[in-house]
Formats: sequence, structure tokens, C-alpha cells
Amino acid sequence: MPEQYSAGAIELGVWELAIAAALVLVAGAVSLMLRLGLEKGLLVASVRVIVQLLAVGWVLRWVFDIDRFWLVAILIGLMVVAATHAAVHRSSRTFRGASLEMFITLVLCGLITTFVVTSVIIGVQPWWKPQYLIPLLGMVLGSAMTGVSLAMDTLLERLTDRRDEIEMLLAHGATRWEAARDPLAAAVRRALIPVINSMTVVGIVHLPGMMTGQILAGADPWEAVKYQIVVMFMIAATTSMSAMGFVLLAYLRLFTRHHQLNVRPIHKRGE
Amino acid sequence: MPEILLSIDDLAVSAGGVRLLEGVTMRMRPDELVALTGPSGCGKTTLLRAIAGLDDPSSGQVRFNGTTPGEMGWPRFRRHVVFLHQRPVMLEAPVEENLGRPLKHKSVDKIFDRDHAADLLAEVGLTAGHLKQPARTLSIGEQQRVSLVRALLIEPEVLLLDEPTSALDEDSRAAIEELLKRKTSGGECAAIVVTHDRRQAERLADRVVNLKDHLSAGRNGGGGHA
Repeated sequence: MPEQYSAGAIELGVWELAIAAALVLVAGAVSLMLRLGLEKGLLVASVRVIVQLLAVGWVLRWVFDIDRFWLVAILIGLMVVAATHAAVHRSSRTFRGASLEMFITLVLCGLITTFVVTSVIIGVQPWWKPQYLIPLLGMVLGSAMTGVSLAMDTLLERLTDRRDEIEMLLAHGATRWEAARDPLAAAVRRALIPVINSMTVVGIVHLPGMMTGQILAGADPWEAVKYQIVVMFMIAATTSMSAMGFVLLAYLRLFTRHHQLNVRPIHKRGE
Repeated sequence: MPEILLSIDDLAVSAGGVRLLEGVTMRMRPDELVALTGPSGCGKTTLLRAIAGLDDPSSGQVRFNGTTPGEMGWPRFRRHVVFLHQRPVMLEAPVEENLGRPLKHKSVDKIFDRDHAADLLAEVGLTAGHLKQPARTLSIGEQQRVSLVRALLIEPEVLLLDEPTSALDEDSRAAIEELLKRKTSGGECAAIVVTHDRRQAERLADRVVNLKDHLSAGRNGGGGHA
């Protein structure tokens, strides 16, 4: 590794963070000048950034220090619960049992890919070493969460808005799979579009946060790029697996064994 | 040819938690056309949906050729006993694709024959020129006729038709009635037709069943046989 990349990150103190916070004042000034009324929102968001990130930094330091599997397991559970909650609440429609199915999908798909990466690709011992597992899982969950919520939204919209079409197919001898295939495919496709878009422009339009972070922390850009490639593929795999897994579970719940479409469990958020 | 093609035994149907009909018992021969009448909201559509198994009946049993849908498999049952919505359902595709779609189902052992489709379209007053048209640009009356042709193409043995002529003018209605009579009297298929029009029921059907006699006890008191 070239010498200039081994120096590590330049440490930031309270003053440096305070100067950075002053940059938000520019946004506040714009809001005031144009009377956008966003000052309060900006203030709350800025305070949340500080509090949430300092808290997570403190928790991560503690978890890394203790380095116990049970603690990592609890943290994984909390991360997936938060991701499930956010994903279900982002969708305009939901159905009874959606949270459980989303939780199962995100846990399984998130852990399968992160396990492959930490144990096989990076070769960390043990595979659950929090320093690697937690950030990687956080990144894949963030993307999978968006994907699954887009899939759920698309699927439920199709099943309710195009119920007549699906029932017409069923009434003409379609199996539930034949009748559901188009809505299921549309849902998975919708989930994957953001991932494919971001894979297409990565490095051209934007440098991903993880890679930028590694470079700022003093890593060799070449090493940072290799990690980023792994992460992009992890994200693609997890998002597609999660979207597919979730729509299959939703399909089994919303299409009965009598090959009927049951839209009764579906409802708009807030109803 | 079996004497009884479709048997319905003591069927009860509910909608939105309200029991609408009960004690519906019916036997249908393979060449029979039954008109189903009754007051609005009495459950005619709900009954057809329950027979087709799109909704579960509250109780009772349907048999096709002596076999329950569960025994023969629901898709195979529905390939023989086809339900048509009152409001025609067209896929966002040309008429030809709409007609051919059910023939792609595993349960349907037929292939799309363009000439046969054109003949059937002609029988309901449409032409082969309609095949290339986007189905959703057709008038509701035309869509209603396309949906009947789509069902006939898979050669079902029972048609469950929910007001199949509601959006048609007199000439088109006469053509559909003629076609249905020919198909049923020739033994090609049996049909249950929901209609509000008493004269149409008498003109068209071998038998008229008024569901007023089957309204649930809470609604009209009593069941009976059809």
C-alpha cells in the first residue's frame, strides 16, 4: 500500500464539527431569504443528525469493544425491526401480516449476503465480527428496505386496481400463479430499478458514501473501490432476493389455495 | 352425455358479512339455459361468483360431472365453468391478444385459431378487423361481445353470465341471445344467465329461477329448490 494512504483519518474535534454545523446556516439563510419556512425543519433535522449519529457511534464503539455474538444478534434484530417499520410505513397500502413477512425476508436475505461477504469474500473471523458485519448489514438493509417497500406498493396497487383483470384470468382457468405473475414481476422490477440506476451511474455521477468515507479515512482509493464493488453487488443481491422473497410471501397470503384473489387483508395506510 | 352436468347443493352465499342467499339447490343438464332473476342486491352476482369459486360460499357444494372443484383442481374446474363479469374486463392489449390469453393457461387444452375467432366475432356482430384494435378503445357493448367470444374460444361446458347484454343495443342483444340459444340447445354448453329483464328471461331460458325464493331468513324468510 502506498505510504500516503496509511496515515489514517485526520481526527475531527468539536470545533471542526461546529464549523461544519455552521454550513447548515447557509441553508437556513436561503430559507429565510426566500421565506420557505424551512428553518425549524432544518434545525430539527440538524439536531437529529448530531444526536442520532453520536448515539450510533457510541453504541458501535461499545459493541465493537465487547465483541460478543449475543450483542451483535440483538443489534441485528433492532436494525431489521427498524428497517421493517420504515419499509412498511413508506408504502401507501399494506396488508395484515405484511410486517412479519417483511421482517422474515429482510433478516434472511440481509444475513445470507452479509454472511457470504464477511466469511467468504473478506474472510473475517468470526463471520459476525461487528466491525464488518454491522456497517455492511446497515448498507444492504437500507437499500433492501427501499426495494421491498417499492415492491409492496406496486404489488398491492396492481392487485387492488387490477383485481378485475386478475379475476378474469382466474375465471378462465388460470392458476393463481398464472394470474399473479404479471403483478409479481412488476413489483420486483420496480424494486430493482433504483439499484440498477445507481449501479449504472456509480463513479460517474456520484461517489458512494462508503467509498468516500474510506478515502477520507486514509484508505487507498483502489482498496476503497474494491470494497465498493463488493457492496454494490451485495446490495443488488439482497434487494432482488428481498423483493422476490417478499412478493412470494405476499402472493401466498393474498392468493388462496382455491386459486382466488383475496384482497380483504389489503388496506390503505390510515384506514 | 351425463344427465346432470352441474349440481349445486344447498349453497348459501354472504357478502360483507351479510348472508344473502341460502338453500340454493339446482341441477343443470348439459344443454340447458337457466335465467337467474331477482331483486337488485339479492345476491345474483355473488351466487355466480360462488359457483365459479371466485368467492367461497358460506356453505353448500358445487359439483361438475359429479366431481367437486377441489377434487378436479380449481383452474380445471373454472376452465369448464367460466364466469363472465357484468362489466367486461379487457387487458391493455389488442383484441386478438385478449382472445388468446386464456388459451395460454395450463388448464386449457386449446390453441388460438384466428379463423375460428373471426367466425365467432362475426356471430356477435363484430369483424376480423376488430382483432388488431386495442380492446380498451372499443365501446362497452363491443367489449361485452369480445368477452363472450373469449370465453367461447376455450369451449367451456357451463357459462356463468352476469347480465351479458346489459350494454347492448337491440340488434346486438338479439344476436347474443341467438348465439346462446344455439350453443345451449346444440348441447355445446349450458348457461346460467343473470338478467333483470323478465321478458328476456322468458324469451331466452329453458327455466327461470327467481332468487327471491332463496333470500336468507333474515331478508325474506325461507329457502327452497330451484
